[in-house]
Amino acid sequence: MQFEWTEEQDAFRHKIRDFLHANLPDDWEKFSEHGPASPALTAFAREFCVKLADAGILFPHWPVEMGGEGLGPWEQQILAEEMWIAGEPRGGQYMNVNWIGPTLEKYGTDEQKKRYLEPITKGQSLWCQGFSEPDAGSDLAALRTRAELKDGNYVINGQKIWTSYAGLADTCFLLTRTSDDRKRGITIILVPMDTPGITVRQIPSLIGEGDIHEVFFDDVTVPESARFGDEGQAWEIIGYSLRNERLGIPRFTLARAALDRAVQMLKDAGDFDSEYVKIEAARCAALCEAAGTANYAVVQRRVDGLAIGAESSSARYATVMAERAVCEFVIEFLPEGLAGASPYLKMHHQRGIVAGVAAGSAEIQLNIIASEVLELPREPR
Amino acid sequence: MQLSLNEDQTQVLDFIDSLAKPYATVPMHDVSLALESAELDEALVENGFLDVMAVEELGPVMAALVIEKLARLPFAVEAAASAMVRPLIDPELPRPLCLMEEGKARKPLRFLRPGATVVVVGPSGVKSFTATENMIAPAQEDTLYGYPVAFLTSQPDSMTSHDVDAAEILRAWRVAMAAEAAGLLGAALASTVTYVSERKQFGRPLATFQGMRHRLAEDQVLTNTAYWMAMRAAGTGSQADAAMALHHAQEAAKRVCYDYHQFLGGMGMTLEHPLHLWTYRLKLLTAELGGRGAQGLAAAEALWG
Repeated sequence: MQFEWTEEQDAFRHKIRDFLHANLPDDWEKFSEHGPASPALTAFAREFCVKLADAGILFPHWPVEMGGEGLGPWEQQILAEEMWIAGEPRGGQYMNVNWIGPTLEKYGTDEQKKRYLEPITKGQSLWCQGFSEPDAGSDLAALRTRAELKDGNYVINGQKIWTSYAGLADTCFLLTRTSDDRKRGITIILVPMDTPGITVRQIPSLIGEGDIHEVFFDDVTVPESARFGDEGQAWEIIGYSLRNERLGIPRFTLARAALDRAVQMLKDAGDFDSEYVKIEAARCAALCEAAGTANYAVVQRRVDGLAIGAESSSARYATVMAERAVCEFVIEFLPEGLAGASPYLKMHHQRGIVAGVAAGSAEIQLNIIASEVLELPREPR
Repeated sequence: MQLSLNEDQTQVLDFIDSLAKPYATVPMHDVSLALESAELDEALVENGFLDVMAVEELGPVMAALVIEKLARLPFAVEAAASAMVRPLIDPELPRPLCLMEEGKARKPLRFLRPGATVVVVGPSGVKSFTATENMIAPAQEDTLYGYPVAFLTSQPDSMTSHDVDAAEILRAWRVAMAAEAAGLLGAALASTVTYVSERKQFGRPLATFQGMRHRLAEDQVLTNTAYWMAMRAAGTGSQADAAMALHHAQEAAKRVCYDYHQFLGGMGMTLEHPLHLWTYRLKLLTAELGGRGAQGLAAAEALWG
C-alpha cells in the first residue's frame, strides 16, 4: 500500500494540465458556466476533442487493440480528474471514452464497432442514454418503451425522461422492452437521433441549459441490426456500463477545487478568520478527500483485474456527501459566488447538485451497499 | 499509487489474526466495562508487532494497519501510541504510553497506571516521565469508556525532554488515533450488522427494514473512508492528511455510535453484548486532541494557512 503517484503518472497529469492551459480559451471559466450539454459547450467540445485526439489524450486508457495506448485505470482516473476540475471541456463526449467505447467493444457487432467507434475516436460523436422513463426512474426495470420486431425492423414506441444530451446527440443508447419478463425483457437498441418519429423536448432545469430532456418515440423504426447484444441482455450490459460510469466522473476533485476557490475568496475578503468557517471548510475538505480515497480503492480493484461491485456505490455515496457539503458551504459563506461573483463556483454548484441523482440515485446506492457490501438480508418484495 | 496490501503487509496482518484469535470474542459471562489482556499485550510485544514502523520495508502504513487491526478486538490494547508515536520519540520508552496534551491533565488518560510513560506534548515541546502510584487517581469504578482510564493528579518537576518536533508528534498522534478509530468503527459496524441480521421483529430480520438499511449503508461509507484516510495519512506523512483523517473519524464516531445502540434496542443497553466496548472507546476518542473542532482548525491551517 503506497499513496504516491509514480513519476510517469505525475508526468501524465502535467501533460494534460499543460494541454488544457495551452488550448482552453482565456474566457474559458466564464464559458464553462454553459452546462456540459448546452449547444455552446457541445459545439466547443467538437473542436476541443479533435485537439485531444490529435494530442493522444482523448482515449489513452483504451487498450492498444482499440487504438488507445493501454495506459490503464490510474491514467484514466488522472485524465478524468483534470478534465472535470477544468469544467469538463469534453462536454458529453466524456461518456464516449469512459463507457460507451469500451461497452461497444465488449458487446457490439463488427458492424456497430465500425460505425460508432471511429467517430468517437475522432471526437465527433455525442451520445445520449435513453434509460429513465416517467414511471421508471430508480425502478429502471419497470420501463415500458416497447420495441417490436416486425419484418426485420424494430418499431419503437414510448417515452424517456431526464435524458442528458438528447437535444444534440447523434445516437441514443436506448433501453426498450421486448418482453414482459422484467429485467430479462429489456433490450438495448442503438437509435440514430435523426430517425423519423423521435421528438425531443428540453426541460428547463437548475443544472443548466440543455441538460435534461423528454424524448418521445412514435413508431420509430430501425433495422434489427441496431439491436445491441441479445434480446433481454440489457440488464447485464448496463450493469457493466454503469459500474464504469459511476467511477467515471471524479466529482470530488471539482468539489475540492471549488472549495479551495471559495476559501481563497473568503481570505481575500478578510472573512476567513472565524474558527467556525475554518472548521466547516476543513470538514468539507475531509469529505472530498474521503470520497477520493474511496474512489481510488475502486480504481485499485480495476488495476488488480478484480470485478467492480458494490464498492463503486460506496465510493459514489461518499462523493455525494462531499458534493452536498461543498455546495452548502459555498452558499452559506459566499452566496455572491452563485450570483455573478464566481463563474467557477456556479459551474461547480450546477454540476454538484446532480451528484445524488445522475447515474442512479443515492438511495439506490445505499440499497446496493446494504445488500452487497454489508450483506444484510434483503427487503421482502 | 498502489492501494492493495503487499505481501509483507498481508503476512503481518495474518500473523496478528492467528495470534489474536483467542481474544477475538468476549469471554463467556464477562460483563466488564473494559477488557484487557496482559497475555495478549505480551505476545504482541514479543513478536515485535508494535515495532513494525521502524522496520524499513514495513514503515508507518504497516503500523497503521496493525493499530487498525488490533482496535477491532474486544480487548483494549495500547497499540496506537506505542506503534506510531513512540518510534519517533524514543523506541525504548517503557509501555504503556499515555499521550497527553500539555495543560490538559483534567481529562482521563487511557492506560494510565504506575510504570506507564506519560508523554506531554505542547507548546513547550515533547517531554515524558514515568507515572508512579502517587500521581494517579483512579477513575470512577463504573466508567463507561471501554478503556482502562485514570487521572493524573500531579506531574514531576523534572521530565525528560525529547529533541523532536512537537508538530510532528502531534501529526503521528492524529494518524494513530485515526487508525485506531477506523478499527473501532469497523468492529462496531460488523457487530451491529450481525445482530440486526439475526434479530427478528414483525416476522422478519430488523435489517430488512429500509429505515435501518440506509443508515447502516451510510455508516459503511463513513467507516470505509475513515479506514482509507487513516492509511493515506500514515503513508503521506502530511499534516493536512493527518488532521483530516482524525477529523473524519471523529465525525463518523459521532454519527454511528448512537445509531448502533439504537439499532440494538434493549440489547444495546446491556453489557452482555460487546458493542459498548467499541462504541465507548470511539466516544472517548472523539475527545482526543481537542476533538473535531481542533482537528478542523489544524487541517485548515495546513491546507490554507
